[in-house]
Amino acid sequence: MKKAERIAVYGSGKEYWRRLATEVKGSIWLYLLLSPGLVYLVVFKYLPMWGVVIAFENYSPFGGIFGSEWVGLKWFQYFFSNKMWTRYLTNTLILSGMNILFYFPAPIILALMLNEVRHLRYKKLMQTLLYVPHFISIVIVVSITYVIFGSDGIIYKLTEQLTGTEIKYLSDPAVFRWMIIGQTIWKETGWGTIIFLAALTNVDTQLYEAAMVDGAGRWRRLWHITLPAIRSTIVLMLVLRMGSVLDTGHEHLILMANAMNRSVSQTLDVFVYQQGIAAGQYSYTTAIGLLKSVVSIILIVTSNKIAHALGESGLY
Amino acid sequence: MKKLLSMLLALVMLMSVTSFAAAEEPLTVTVMLPDFYTDVDFVVEGNPVLEAIEAATGVKLDIQWIANSSYGDQTSYTLADPANMPMVMVLTGARDPIVVNSARQGAFWDITDMLADYPNLSAGPEGVYNNIKIDGRLYGIFRSRAQARGGIYYRTDIAAEMGITEEPKTIEDLTALAMALTEYGKAHDAYALNMVKYVAGTIGIITVAHGAPYNWGVNEAGEIYPAHEDPHFLEGLNWLRDLYAAGGIDPDFMTIEFGEWDKIERNDKAFMRFDCLDNCYRQQEWFETNKGVTDTVWAMVSSVTNAQGENRIWPQNAGYSGEIVITKAVKDEATVRKILAFLDWCNTPEGCTLINWGVDGQTFWVREDGFRYTNPTDDADMSLQVQQFQHSLNQLGTNVAGDKTPYLQQKTALRMEYDAYQLTELDKIINDPCHALTSETNTMMGTTLSQMLEDAHVQYIAGLIDEDGLRAAWAEWSAMGGEAMTAEYNAAYQATK
Repeated sequence: MKKAERIAVYGSGKEYWRRLATEVKGSIWLYLLLSPGLVYLVVFKYLPMWGVVIAFENYSPFGGIFGSEWVGLKWFQYFFSNKMWTRYLTNTLILSGMNILFYFPAPIILALMLNEVRHLRYKKLMQTLLYVPHFISIVIVVSITYVIFGSDGIIYKLTEQLTGTEIKYLSDPAVFRWMIIGQTIWKETGWGTIIFLAALTNVDTQLYEAAMVDGAGRWRRLWHITLPAIRSTIVLMLVLRMGSVLDTGHEHLILMANAMNRSVSQTLDVFVYQQGIAAGQYSYTTAIGLLKSVVSIILIVTSNKIAHALGESGLY
Repeated sequence: MKKLLSMLLALVMLMSVTSFAAAEEPLTVTVMLPDFYTDVDFVVEGNPVLEAIEAATGVKLDIQWIANSSYGDQTSYTLADPANMPMVMVLTGARDPIVVNSARQGAFWDITDMLADYPNLSAGPEGVYNNIKIDGRLYGIFRSRAQARGGIYYRTDIAAEMGITEEPKTIEDLTALAMALTEYGKAHDAYALNMVKYVAGTIGIITVAHGAPYNWGVNEAGEIYPAHEDPHFLEGLNWLRDLYAAGGIDPDFMTIEFGEWDKIERNDKAFMRFDCLDNCYRQQEWFETNKGVTDTVWAMVSSVTNAQGENRIWPQNAGYSGEIVITKAVKDEATVRKILAFLDWCNTPEGCTLINWGVDGQTFWVREDGFRYTNPTDDADMSLQVQQFQHSLNQLGTNVAGDKTPYLQQKTALRMEYDAYQLTELDKIINDPCHALTSETNTMMGTTLSQMLEDAHVQYIAGLIDEDGLRAAWAEWSAMGGEAMTAEYNAAYQATK
């Protein structure tokens, strides 16, 4: 909305505030209903954000935020002066790229498949079963992986029997990323379908009927009706996903890491955990976290702009 | 006569108890300790050991047990949250970056100038105290450990079955032994050398034995260099690499948790280990109690002669294993002094007995022969009660001037051999010249850098990279901060000369 339009609708200066006051008074209960959410947002999301100042301090838990020495951009300089960061960034980007390429489409495909199931009870049962892995702790997922893929595991033995070569699923760096993606797909695909299934319920069934009359088969209907209908949701999810390109999480990776695959498993998040929590470098790692956030914001804004340019509504 | 003596001693102890416990309010001290018996609950109410400690010192211990396997991580979390720190903590790594950082940030009380007021504490060796100092200041009381601790231990019965009856004297003997055990292992779904995720000890022992320094060495010019730059270091790694290639090490060793280490030997899945030798007699005793073994099936060797004709020992520690610190959760110096007095008392004969072993008749038993046992009679198994009452309280034991417990333990041959090493083998110990020194790079990046080195060494042992790959990893380590670290240690080392 242009500024002139905005002023025309809402007024400006005192006028604006007066209108706002009558608006609030008019629907006071609705605003009261909103307030717990607002308070939550301010107290738990906005106030803690000020803690980010420790990125510019030599923070000590004993001095606190106000008592620690101010060092300016020292940690940012240190981060870039140390060559190690390229390794972490590379690992992060490769893993994220693979995640977007292989995991991101998985829930969409699954949702489309579920959408084609005509037996309603069977579909509901499938949906419920597919959500279960999401509620299993990653620790347990990794433990199961160790049992199945370890050198005494079923799959290890099976591939050894079938192909004649040993694939070291747990220690070969070349396999590591595929294991991570595989685990993510196994655990999160079902849960990820929720939003796409919700979008699919909005598709007008008359469109399908009309297409059927015109002689369109299943694939045609999928391609010309279903996919376009959920396209904006897909774009929205993709824009959101772009914002977390640098987030790989540390728990899953640390659980799967060992001396053999650490060269590919160490991402920025893992580094932040190691240096920040394990070695007590709070300021240094907050600075890295801040850098990550800046990159995330840039990515979200850019990808949203691109979405707009392509004629999608995007995130905002 | 011995009975009379022990009664007399008990009387003396009783008298000192009554004299110590003035009518003061007991001081509640919160303590964080590593827990080695996670499956057994520690009894707090009516625990005779805690009661005896309170009666003797007026200190009421409020213990927070943390499983030993996650103790390092928990230490970090605890130190990040000053509001909820315990008053006294055991820190298992006195020179870990988290400890150095926290000390500099003011997490602990500086006790450098107070130590002299406590006769039992100051009786500890100054050299070891120096080893735990940070920037020249003392923040804790070290937990004393034997110096000649690292070595080789193996199953003699299996070696004998494979035709080896002599203990290995040279590295060639050791190789022959490892190969014989490998051969046996192949027929019995087992491996020769017991290796797990934690590889620092295994690599340390074999490389030092081959002639490499421990972590850091000093060259002819008197300058510090990293151990892996020593040519003998690669010989040691090659020894492990060859054994791995021959099938003598579990191919998945790098994924096996530390907690499995003992179990692998107990389940007959591996027959040799490079580690602290006190574990050897503990395994023997476990085999006796749980497997009904009557012969001595384990043997220990502190060092083997290498190609240069030297015998070298990897000491595992610098005379201590971690330290006990008083945190800033204690607000005033008067309380700090009370806690120091308590730690001082822990180093008296009475304190040593209670902290290390507990109460006679409850957690240890002095039998007719005058020796101390962990069960009242040979056929009684009272270990559960011992674990419930005494638990891992001995983790609080510092024993700076040795364990002064008056009752001796009936010693097995292996225990006596181990004790003898502490007198005869001292000149073979290779110390880390940089142990007491600090390097800024190490404090900032040490954890990550040493991980890089260790990962490369593991990959080399497992045949994932060749010598060129190993050298590339060493070069990368240098570029990422190893070179700076060497320079800093060198500067610090020159300054101490």
